[in-house]
Amino acid sequence: MHRLIYIEEAVADHPRTKAICARFPKSTKVYCKHYGEVFNRKGQNFRLQKQSPALILAHKHKNHVLNAPDGYGIGGQRNYYFSHMLNCLYDCRYCFLQGMYRSANYVIFVNYEDFQQAIVDTARQHPDEALWFFSGYDCDSLAYEPVTNFTSEFLPTFSQLPNAHLELRTKSLQIRTLLNTEPLDNCIVAYSFTPAALSQALEHGVPSVEKRIEAMAKLQQHGWRLGLRFDPMIYQEGFEKDYQQLFKQLFSRLPAESIHSVSLGTLRTPKAFHQNMVNLYPEEKLFAGRFDEQHGMITYAKELEEQMTHFCYDQLMQYIPQSLFFACTPPE
Amino acid sequence: MINIITALQCEARPLIDHYRLRGNAKHSAFRCYQNDELRLVISGIGKLAAATATTYLASSDTQTTSGWLNPGIAGHADHAIGTPLLAHKLIDAASEQQWFPGIVIPTPCASETLTTVDRPEAEYRPGTMIDMEASGFYAAASRFQSCELIHSLKIISDNHNQGTGQITEKNTTTLIHDNLSTIDAVISELQTLACQQNRIEKAPVECDAFMEHWHFTTYQQNELRGLFRRWHALKLPTAPDPNDFSQLTTSKAVLKAIKEYLDHQPVRFYGASS
Repeated sequence: MHRLIYIEEAVADHPRTKAICARFPKSTKVYCKHYGEVFNRKGQNFRLQKQSPALILAHKHKNHVLNAPDGYGIGGQRNYYFSHMLNCLYDCRYCFLQGMYRSANYVIFVNYEDFQQAIVDTARQHPDEALWFFSGYDCDSLAYEPVTNFTSEFLPTFSQLPNAHLELRTKSLQIRTLLNTEPLDNCIVAYSFTPAALSQALEHGVPSVEKRIEAMAKLQQHGWRLGLRFDPMIYQEGFEKDYQQLFKQLFSRLPAESIHSVSLGTLRTPKAFHQNMVNLYPEEKLFAGRFDEQHGMITYAKELEEQMTHFCYDQLMQYIPQSLFFACTPPE
Repeated sequence: MINIITALQCEARPLIDHYRLRGNAKHSAFRCYQNDELRLVISGIGKLAAATATTYLASSDTQTTSGWLNPGIAGHADHAIGTPLLAHKLIDAASEQQWFPGIVIPTPCASETLTTVDRPEAEYRPGTMIDMEASGFYAAASRFQSCELIHSLKIISDNHNQGTGQITEKNTTTLIHDNLSTIDAVISELQTLACQQNRIEKAPVECDAFMEHWHFTTYQQNELRGLFRRWHALKLPTAPDPNDFSQLTTSKAVLKAIKEYLDHQPVRFYGASS
């Protein structure tokens, strides 16, 4: 339930706006000219807003498909992301969105057709290459599915584009649409994990590790190809045991042949975002350990990064072939 | 602390009585009333007066985070007289500038757009409350505070059926008085939010003791606060004590030593498996 739904005047009559508003009949509708008036203005407190986020329905005018950042990929040469939604239902303390955006309100861009057309255009520009499109960069791909109908609206686009691959990146249990849909060979459902104890401490509102594994098992039985994302890896004293336990738990339930890809990434946040996050949560233990600055990014100390990456890589190699592994580390 | 701006004495009177606010003679520019938790200023009519009073109050506010409330009366074409409404969008009619207060507190009443006009208008504008202060109040308060802590709460005083001609000081006071429970609920929620935020932003208590021992520049004081916040976040068994660093002669050396100490502390999250 959102107390307020802000609606750009230009999309007030859009069918998707009406459908979303119909789900929240008790919400007060507030009209604005441009979503940035609400979302981007100064003098907002992300942490306070996270207590009761409003919904913003808007039109995305350009940049529907963007190049993915360096290191964000699973082996493809051409990586793109698109964001039908800004912000996430979950509240993961390491998430860069809380340092990047001024507002914790959820923005949904209702003009899906423009995103779909941009995806089609991009795929047709490179007909002989495999392209990857990532939908879980600025939001969780599935978490708001009952409201956005994102997968049911976008999967048909990808079913027509054999050279375009879609990664749905999520921590959500909202898999009903996927279970009611014939699996696509060019779509990966990738789940993000940190060890259970870290998840409890840092991933507020996120389904438990066990529940996520159950969701993955159902998807695997239905024939969907799965991804595992350990990005970011989070350090705590004795991390080895935590990650060992997590990998064991995952691979005892998910057959290796159902796994399309596994990726590891270290905790890296642009310096300005990191500072915003520390200011918002100064009491947070995650930010209280040692961090270094490397090329404008705030990271764990290099030796610790390497130690964690090597350890987790070695552990993963006990369960998966090397060909499924991808390191999400931007080039220096 | 909650800062309250009303335009008129007759709007303020029920609040002064309810919260037992005392006049503060130190303030000469505006009539000010206060207790330990609330401060109220009577601005006079108009957005400029409201903006000036808001800035005046903000300049003497010692809290990092305070709530701001602008209660008062407003007109609306359709809403019944006596209806309390929180503003979810403010429009300054003259400049067409708009603001969107972030409503994160549980609200005891509905919300509505609020348009601030420079002069009384003969006709009601559709779909909006009308007043003469809120845009000035909001524009000024938002310089000092984040939008979630700034609200205008209006009681409908006139509408199509009963125009402005019937508004008197007496029935204005009655309208505010009759809605004290709603106003109080909003104030209470704002207080909770402001307290939460003040706890988060509060400088660690050890800073003063360290600043008595060494001279820290303003930049270094910020650094010191950041390091002590880390210290507390790590939940270390001992509190920072200047005596533990007494062999160091400069503030720079102290900061370096604290940072090195913290960098070597183990990070372990509660609930983590052993």
